[in-house]
Amino acid sequence: MVEAYLPKDLDECLKILNEKKVKIIAGGTDMLIQNRSHTGMSIGYRNDVLYINNLNELKNIYEDDAFVYIGAALSLEKIMESDIAPKLLKETILEMASPAIRHTATLAGNIGNASPAGDSLVSLYLMDAELEIRSINNTRRVFLKDFIKGVRKITLESDELITKVIIPKLMFEKAYFKKVGPRLSDAISKLSFAGAYQIYNNKITDIRIAFGAVNVTVVRDRLLEKKMIGKTIEELKGMIDLLTSWYDPLIVPIDDQRSNKVYRKEVAINLLREFIENLI
Amino acid sequence: MKDISTSINKVDNEEKISGQAKYVADIKPEGMLYAFTVRAKIVKGKILNIEYPLLPEGYFVVDYRDIPGQNIVKVIFNDMPVFTEKEITYLYEPIALLVGPDKNVLSKLIEGVHIVYQEEEPLFDWIDSVVHYHFDKGEGKRAFSGKKIIEFNYETSYQEQAYIEPQGFIGYMDGEKTTLIGSIQCPYYVKKAVVQALGESEDNVRIIQATVGGAFGGKEEFPSLIGCQLAVALKKIRKPIQLIYEREEDMLVTTKRHPSRVHFKAAIKDNKIHALSADVGIDGGANIGLSGVVLSRALIACTGAYTIENLDISGDVFRTNTVPNGAFRGFGAPQMFFAIEMFIEHLALELGVDPLVFKKDILVKQGDYTSTMGIFRDPVLMPEMICKAMEVSNYQEKRINYDALDSYKGIGMSWFFHGCGFTGSGEKNIIKAKVRLKKEFDKVEILIAAVDMGQGVKTSFRKLVANILDIDIEQVIFNNPDTDAVPDSGPTVASRTMMIVGGLVARATEEVKKRWAEEKFIVEKEYEQPSYIKYDEEKFKGDAYPAYSWGVNVVEVEVDKFTYQVKINKSWSFYDIGKAIDERIVIGQADGGLAQGLAYGYLEVMNHKQGQIMQKNMTDYIIPTAMDMCPMETYLYENPYAYGPYGAKGVGELSLIGGAPAVAKAIEQAIKRRVFKIPVTPEYIMELIKNG
Ligand SMILES: Cc1cc2nc3c(=O)[nH]c(=O)nc-3n(C[C@H](O)[C@H](O)[C@H](O)COP(=O)(O)OP(=O)(O)OC[C@H]3O[C@@H](n4cnc5c(N)ncnc54)[C@H](O)[C@@H]3O)c2cc1C
Repeated sequence: MVEAYLPKDLDECLKILNEKKVKIIAGGTDMLIQNRSHTGMSIGYRNDVLYINNLNELKNIYEDDAFVYIGAALSLEKIMESDIAPKLLKETILEMASPAIRHTATLAGNIGNASPAGDSLVSLYLMDAELEIRSINNTRRVFLKDFIKGVRKITLESDELITKVIIPKLMFEKAYFKKVGPRLSDAISKLSFAGAYQIYNNKITDIRIAFGAVNVTVVRDRLLEKKMIGKTIEELKGMIDLLTSWYDPLIVPIDDQRSNKVYRKEVAINLLREFIENLI
Repeated sequence: MKDISTSINKVDNEEKISGQAKYVADIKPEGMLYAFTVRAKIVKGKILNIEYPLLPEGYFVVDYRDIPGQNIVKVIFNDMPVFTEKEITYLYEPIALLVGPDKNVLSKLIEGVHIVYQEEEPLFDWIDSVVHYHFDKGEGKRAFSGKKIIEFNYETSYQEQAYIEPQGFIGYMDGEKTTLIGSIQCPYYVKKAVVQALGESEDNVRIIQATVGGAFGGKEEFPSLIGCQLAVALKKIRKPIQLIYEREEDMLVTTKRHPSRVHFKAAIKDNKIHALSADVGIDGGANIGLSGVVLSRALIACTGAYTIENLDISGDVFRTNTVPNGAFRGFGAPQMFFAIEMFIEHLALELGVDPLVFKKDILVKQGDYTSTMGIFRDPVLMPEMICKAMEVSNYQEKRINYDALDSYKGIGMSWFFHGCGFTGSGEKNIIKAKVRLKKEFDKVEILIAAVDMGQGVKTSFRKLVANILDIDIEQVIFNNPDTDAVPDSGPTVASRTMMIVGGLVARATEEVKKRWAEEKFIVEKEYEQPSYIKYDEEKFKGDAYPAYSWGVNVVEVEVDKFTYQVKINKSWSFYDIGKAIDERIVIGQADGGLAQGLAYGYLEVMNHKQGQIMQKNMTDYIIPTAMDMCPMETYLYENPYAYGPYGAKGVGELSLIGGAPAVAKAIEQAIKRRVFKIPVTPEYIMELIKNG
């Protein structure tokens, strides 16, 4: 039998994390599936579990001049409803799962699950998102890209909890997320793409490109992006073949029951082309 | 009196929406035990030894040694054991049941079963033909000599029924009577199978239908297997037992639509099709079961909606070491109509003829001979339906516009029919349907074995009887069939329920009407074949079906040029189903069937790798959501069939058949490439575009 803890506030939650070996459950939309068992049997958790979905302290969303702060237990649906969540994030969430799942799933859960196909990760990488992580004695801040280390690999100590997702406020000429799923709703991505750019005096001042589900985690390369900054749109369009050749070695997808690597690779490159072709 | 087609609310809407309807899983008698299935972990080989863990008290193993009767499941071709004794022929083949009161204990016990196998090389190639059919029409093979020949190959893959409710039964002993309540389409199939497996008398086996959460053919023959297993367990343990599959178990081991390969060859004379030869293969999986019937229905449909004078047709069921395939809405027709619709189109293009002109020229007309030299006796409304289809979809203009190279849009049209009821003399010789009506005071009870699996039988039959008697629908009773109460009116399959069983019920009702003044009485009717139906099953000669339903689908798509994803923008459908007994129910069947047919054509991917089904849950097996489907415009045509009630013909399967070829043709136009297999996935589209 596993123990289930239901702390009444964050302090108690951190205390439990400090004292017990537990697995965190937010919305449970990954955890329940991964621990499923026969109908009528209890859920097949292998460890004691800690529910955080009733902690109001983790359910707020607020901003300051530079950042938007999203509480770790806030549901995806609530993020979509918020006025201050970045537009790109809201548009990404709309492509995730189904309304029912979005009412319980969380952003921190998508991060904690660290699946190569996690959709929000692509846009969060693009925006240089950070995390606030707390334990009973410590609060630290870490870039998402440094937090995720590989397929289902994250750098979280056993007494730690993600408390906030922190997203810089950014201005883009255009930013979008494109999910390539097997169908139009409620499906896991075959691959995904996010692109954003800013322009001043006809010159690119900021450009960001990220791919999902084509490598162990999100692909984004700042050095390549730097090489594009300062160029005009026409110049970028003129070097499209060169651009795709830069990204080519980073895109190393797999064959699985949902698609194959040839398709994933080709379409990833196509989406990069589409992005560059449509710069205005 | 109102037109019977005028829709009413389905009689079970409320109990289903409120959650009161009782599905198998809702029935939990005192002291109920659970059954888990012990399965083979190899694809092919022999069991050398099985070691079961020490069972706590109240836990049981049930295997082939416990079978009192025959260790064979009575289907159509009897080659599937209830529990395998030694031979393993596919992955997860059932070996035994573990039965007991606590699922947690059972799931531990099942991990403790140790089986030693002697593995053998499995067969996945299609070389072991276990059923072979051949027939000719006209000059047969001779028609090809000296003619110009054009040939192509077509391929279809698995489709999973994806009913919402997985397979399941609950059973108990009622004295000496083995009683099963199940999620089933065919109560009497299960009954006959159980009688044989138990070696019991008919009186000691009772099968009751629970509310069924979808079936699509998947609950035609498969339930007979688990029904027999459970019955054997009941005999041994004599306590109520539940056997319900989890979704993954269901998807891994239950029957699916047969993958197919069709090689078509046409002999051309004067730039027209003079003769057609087809070589059809379907993958039966590890058992033959009813694969032969699926093949025969496919072969009969080999010319599609066209009349071709000379035919040379062969087909094989191949046995492979994969999960056995079986019944699925359409029963061979979806595979064949995809192939023939594409082939005729490709043929016209090869010959430089406008496909529409080419096809209209050979479209079936009333009085034409069928592929088996039967006769299309009833009026064929296809020209009218096609005309309307082209008009409302603006087909020709779109066809021209979308021909532009960079349109990435396409419109496709399919023409098709479905033979209603069992093939040939099946109704007369095998099924011998019986129906019974019981009149008591101002009430009439319908006693038939037809199952409402969501398709509306409970509503349409009550409506039918009420309409004929001109009484309130509340005065007509229809309970879920129970073999102790209803006669064998046959299985709920083959688009036969309203046309055949409904036809009998209508005739019985006419008699009730005449005797209405009497207080209490019973009327029985038995199927009589229309005298003109004569069919030789071996030779494939004669009238294969008493009647045909017809359809036209038009589908418009757009292909994303960066991701190759297909978006379906709109569909228009035209169905001649004789007469709708309830319009909304028919439209529900029509639009649901089209969604399933379209998805078969472009979306639903299922394959196996070394005998292992790769898409084993609803995360990986992609069926369409409302977001993926399009606005559907559906038109029904009246064309009464003399022996159907109010002229009704088959409805259930027709609408699944045309979706795949229509969407495939629309995609062809959008990507300016020819399509030879379904599903036309983005991965396949990419391949086609890249290969020029
Ligand atoms: C039907 C369905 C459709 C789906 N569709 C999509 C989709 O389209 N795109 C997509 O990306 N995902 C999808 N998912 C997956 C899932 O919904 C998301 O990953 C979701 O964001 C997970 O959030 P959760 O709160 O439910 O996570 P949980 O299941 O509660 O947790 C997931 C993981 O994160 C950890 N975790 C959770 N919160 C914290 C925290 N505060 N600190 C540290 N660790 C934490 C948990 O320990 C666990 O390892 C789908 C799931 C289902 C069931």
